[in-house]
Formats: sequence, C-alpha cells, structure tokens
Amino acid sequence: MDAGERDLFARGVRRAAGAHTGAALDSALAQLGWPEALAGDPRTAVSVLFELQGATNTTSSSVNHVLLGPLGIDGGVVLPALDRWGPPGVLDGRRLSVCGLGTAVLARLPTTVVVARSAASGDVAGRPITLTVPTAALTLRPVGAVDPALGLLEVSVEDWSIEGAPTPAPEWPAAVARAQLAIGHELVGAARSMLDLARDHARHRVQFGRPIAQFQALRHRLAESLVAIETAAALLEEAWREDSPPASAMAKAVSGRTARTVAGHCQQILAGIGFTTEHPFHRYFRRALVLDQLFGSSRRLTRELGNEVLASRQLPPVLPL
Amino acid sequence: MDLDEFRGALDAWLDDNHDQLRHAGVGTLDGQMEQLSKVKRLTYDAGWMRWGWPEGVGGLGGSPLLRAYLGEALTWRALVEPGLYSMTEVLAPTMIGYARSDLAARMVPRLLRGDETWCQGFSEPGTGSNLASLACRATAGTEGWRVTGQKVWTSLAQYADRCVLLTRTGEPGSAHRGITALFVDMDSPGITVRPIETMHGAPEFSEVFFDDVAVPFDRTLGQEGEGWAVAMDLLPYERSTALWHRAAHLRRRFQDLLDAAPEGALGATEVGEAIQTLYAFRARSRATQHRLDAAERLGPETSIDKVLLATAEQAVYDLVVDGLPGAVTIGDDPISERWRTGFLYSRAATIYGGTAEIQRNIIARRLLDLGADR
Repeated sequence: MDAGERDLFARGVRRAAGAHTGAALDSALAQLGWPEALAGDPRTAVSVLFELQGATNTTSSSVNHVLLGPLGIDGGVVLPALDRWGPPGVLDGRRLSVCGLGTAVLARLPTTVVVARSAASGDVAGRPITLTVPTAALTLRPVGAVDPALGLLEVSVEDWSIEGAPTPAPEWPAAVARAQLAIGHELVGAARSMLDLARDHARHRVQFGRPIAQFQALRHRLAESLVAIETAAALLEEAWREDSPPASAMAKAVSGRTARTVAGHCQQILAGIGFTTEHPFHRYFRRALVLDQLFGSSRRLTRELGNEVLASRQLPPVLPL
Repeated sequence: MDLDEFRGALDAWLDDNHDQLRHAGVGTLDGQMEQLSKVKRLTYDAGWMRWGWPEGVGGLGGSPLLRAYLGEALTWRALVEPGLYSMTEVLAPTMIGYARSDLAARMVPRLLRGDETWCQGFSEPGTGSNLASLACRATAGTEGWRVTGQKVWTSLAQYADRCVLLTRTGEPGSAHRGITALFVDMDSPGITVRPIETMHGAPEFSEVFFDDVAVPFDRTLGQEGEGWAVAMDLLPYERSTALWHRAAHLRRRFQDLLDAAPEGALGATEVGEAIQTLYAFRARSRATQHRLDAAERLGPETSIDKVLLATAEQAVYDLVVDGLPGAVTIGDDPISERWRTGFLYSRAATIYGGTAEIQRNIIARRLLDLGADR
C-alpha cells in the first residue's frame, strides 16, 4: 500500500474497530478487505488493526488469520496454550491430544486446523505438522474469567484418532512471530489508551487546590508510562524490519511488560475511580493481563531469551543502521 | 556516498589499518586522549571523519548517518571511548549553527582532525539541573567581553584548546533570556583549570575559573542573549548521534561480558531483560538517526532516548557486578580496572546530560502536556 491507500485503509479500520466488536467486527473487516490486506501488506494490516483493537478494547478473530497466513491455510486454527508459543497439539502415532486456545471463529467452522508436534521417534520427532480435524471433535470452552469480553475459547481433546496424513508445517515459527507482533501492537494500543485515561484524569482532578497533574510523583509515573510505550513501539518497528522469530519474541515480551507497567502506574493515578466499573480503565487492565500471556508471557519469553544467549554466548544479531 | 557503500569501504579500511589504529593499551585518561587524537587524525586524513559534515567546515557532505556509522564502527572495535569521541557530535553542530562562518570554517576542521580538544562550559556550582540560573558573568567592554565566574563538571577542560561557554549577559534575574554563548580560547590569561577526582578514577571533569578573561566580540555564538537557544539546540545532538555511538559501545561490552563470565554467574531473566532494554534503546536511537538524516528538527522526544540509554547502560553494568564479581571489587589487573571504571561510570548515566528526573520532567511537560509543575 502507498501512503494514501494506507491512510484510507486505516480510516476504514478505525471506524470499524470503533463501532463493532466480536463477530460484527469480523464481518466489518471482511467487507473492508482486511483479509486481502493481510495477504498483500501484512505489516500495515496487522499494525493498524491490532493497535486500534487494543486502543478501543474491541476484539475480533483476526489473530486466527494472522497465525494462518504464513502457514498458507484458510479457516480456523488452534492457538498455543496460555503462556506458550509451541504447537498446541501432540501427535502420538495416530492419536492426537490438543491443549490450546482459540478465537470465536472456531465455533462457526466445521473443521479446525491443529498444529501438533509429533511424539514419534525418527526425523519427524518434534517437528510441527498440521492436521485438519472436525471442530465437533474438540471441546470448546468459552473463557469467562478476568476478561469475558475478549471472547477467547479454551480448546482441548485427548487421544482423538486422526484420519488422513499430517502435513509438515515448517512455517510454524514464522506464523507465531507474526501473531506475537499482532498481540504486541494490541498491548501497545491498550497501553496508550490507559495512559490517555490517566493523563486526562490527572489534568482535571483537583486536590489541595490544584490539578493532581502538578504533583511530580504523578508526573513521573505518567512519563515512565510514555517511555515504556515508546520502548515497545520501537522494538515492534524493528521486529517488522527484521522479520525473524527472535526479534518478534523480544518485541512481544517488551510489549507485555509495557502494558503491565503502564497499567500499574495508571491505576495508581486513577485511584478510586479506576477501581470501579464506572470507569473504562478496568477493561484495559483485564485485557492487558490476558494478552500478555498469549504466545508467551513477558516473563517466560525474557527468561527464554536469556537462556538462549547464555547457551550460545552470543548477543542476538542486529540489523545495520 | 551512500551508507552501504560507506560501511563497506570503511570496514575494509579499518581492517587493513588495524595495527596502526589499535589502542596501545594505556588505560589512563591521558592514554585515551592520545588514542582519540590519533584515531581522529588517521580517519580525517583518510577522509572518513569528513563525511556527513558540510563542505564549508572541511567536510565532504553527505548524510549524518555516515557519522553515526563511523562512531559505531570505532566504538564497536574499541578504538575510542564513546564519551570522549562523541563530544564532536555536540560541539561541531553548535559551531556550524551559531559561529560566524569564517570562524567555523577555521576551527571545526581542527576539532574533527583531533588537532584540538574542545570543552563545553555549562554547569556551575550553583547551577546544575536549573541551567537557566547560571551566573558566570560576561560584561561588554569597548574591545570585547570580559568574563568572570566559575564553571564545574566541564569535561576534558584540562585538555581543551577552546570552550563553548554560556555566560550571563543580562540582569542577574534574567533567567534564560539573559544568556550569551561565547567561543573562548582556553589559553586566554585569567583561566584556571582544576581537574576533579571522580569515583571512577579518571579526572574527566574539571572546575574552570574565569578571572576577567577577555573574549573578542566576534567570538559570540549567535546573538547576545541568544545563548539559551544555542544550549537547547545542542542538547538534542547530545541525545542523538552520541547516544548511537554509546549503544554500539554497550553492545561491545555486553558481548565481552558474555565471553568472560563463568558458567552459572549470570541469571537468564536478568540477561534477557538487559538485552531487551539495550536493543530497545538501539531501535529507538536508530529511528532518531533517520529523523536527523531526514532533516527533522529534534526536540524533547529525545529525552526518551536519554532515559532509555541510562536504563540500558545501568542494566548492562549491573550484570557485570555479579557476572564478573572479582573484576569490579578486588581485581587490580588492567582488564578488571576497565570493567570497574565502566561500572562506576555507568552510575552517572542517570545524572549527566540532564538527570533522569529532569528528563522525566521534560517528558511530562513537553510530550504529555501536563502543564507546569507548580
């Protein structure tokens, strides 16, 4: 897309994400040509939509399509289990077990794609493969818990006998990398909205005869929040340029930490009102908690990065200036 | 010359001339300053140091990205200390922007070639974070300015041939309106320099005393009373190319740490987090270099770069204390000495060039528009 087309596209997505959520947002995005944009210009399609989704606290099944893109498949796919980025399935002989998550789109489709690791010995051991299974064979539990509005499903099955032959899925790490960038943008969008809410509150809330934005303790929390957001945004930019699983994992880890740091500062600034459901803050807070744990939490991804570097004793490569 | 071409040719030249360029291994500040002059002279004479600077001051033109890469290559190869090397990035643009063009044309090449060292006289005993309160007095006489007062934390003043000096020319309470910037010869009668012993062992800063020092009017940078603008224009440079060089240096030292740390001495989470912080800083600074290249005006958003640098620098050196414990605490060999100096200096990363708190104040007021804080 050129700059003009990107602008037009962003305006359309902004209108859609501002007005709809869930299945309604899915159909609005289909009408806007978002799936085609995802194929043609993934960076624009993903960054624009997910940042807005985060900022407006809406949801869609789009991460499903982001994950499927590099795999070259259409339809519904099982996402990795909470705090994991490996394939959600394990194939032992002909028996498949799945423990993962999914978006609402799964419930609307007759079949679902499962990426699994083969437990067999030999050269296929541990390599990701894809299988298509009837959705009816899977147990889909709508997730309520801390953020029911996200519309997540928990997906599971034990020892289901597969039919047909699995296909290798060497693109799995690339697919996960894309999804990590998508969730990273969503976390940054949510963090920006939390900062906007807290900033607005600090400028208007008067105590001791002046807006609380004049107190340095609060100003520095807001400044810290902006630094955290720009840190994550810079790494997301760099990860798109670099287009590698380690760069995406790093951007996702920092986006998750950012959203949780910003949530902490902003909740403190919003104080009492932010603790109520009368104020929108709690929705972003909830969303950030769950998003941080999709495709690897900040904590686990960070430890994994450290382990890899300590094993190889080499810093990750950097792109030239 | 484009960046890729420059990078390829420079890297080859640095490889070919490694023996001549490399550090003789003297860890003292005197030794580092000698090394700096040598590297600047060799890179200037071979042309590299002139790229990215305007032709009017001895440069060969081209993008400032070329300067960013030169500094990155020199610090990554540990040929220069980034703090000493990058002062050029702050002082030369000030001269180009504010000195009379004949003065800039005569002086800037001496700085670039390493024939001269310059310093920057900003802070005073009573003027730290609140720069606009400075008191060092310049009075207009018939033949020029007469300067009387004191500066402190003046980096490299004992080596310096010239000084970009902020003086009070307005009424004592005139704050940022009554400041004038001067370009002063450090061998002028009436200047006394007293180096300050610092925690990290290198007497990098000095006190500088001015006792009725004569400075010709044609050494005024900008107009009388325009000194605040000179200082404000200079600060974003301090937070752009200079920080890019520092990022390369930190990456070098981090890799050295990974090479040297014994098995089990470093924690995975701490290492992962320090890498993320350093790489985030590099990503941010990279975007800033490209904005500079696109001739965008840098402003308060570079305070974010400075906060990130300080966080990254301290995160990396915090690992050194635990990863190479003896190096910081009991090692008296030159390698330990270098780690210790680096660690101790990293504690100043949240202090120099505007403290972490001042940067957050700037972010709050200028980027978040929170209004004045009182």
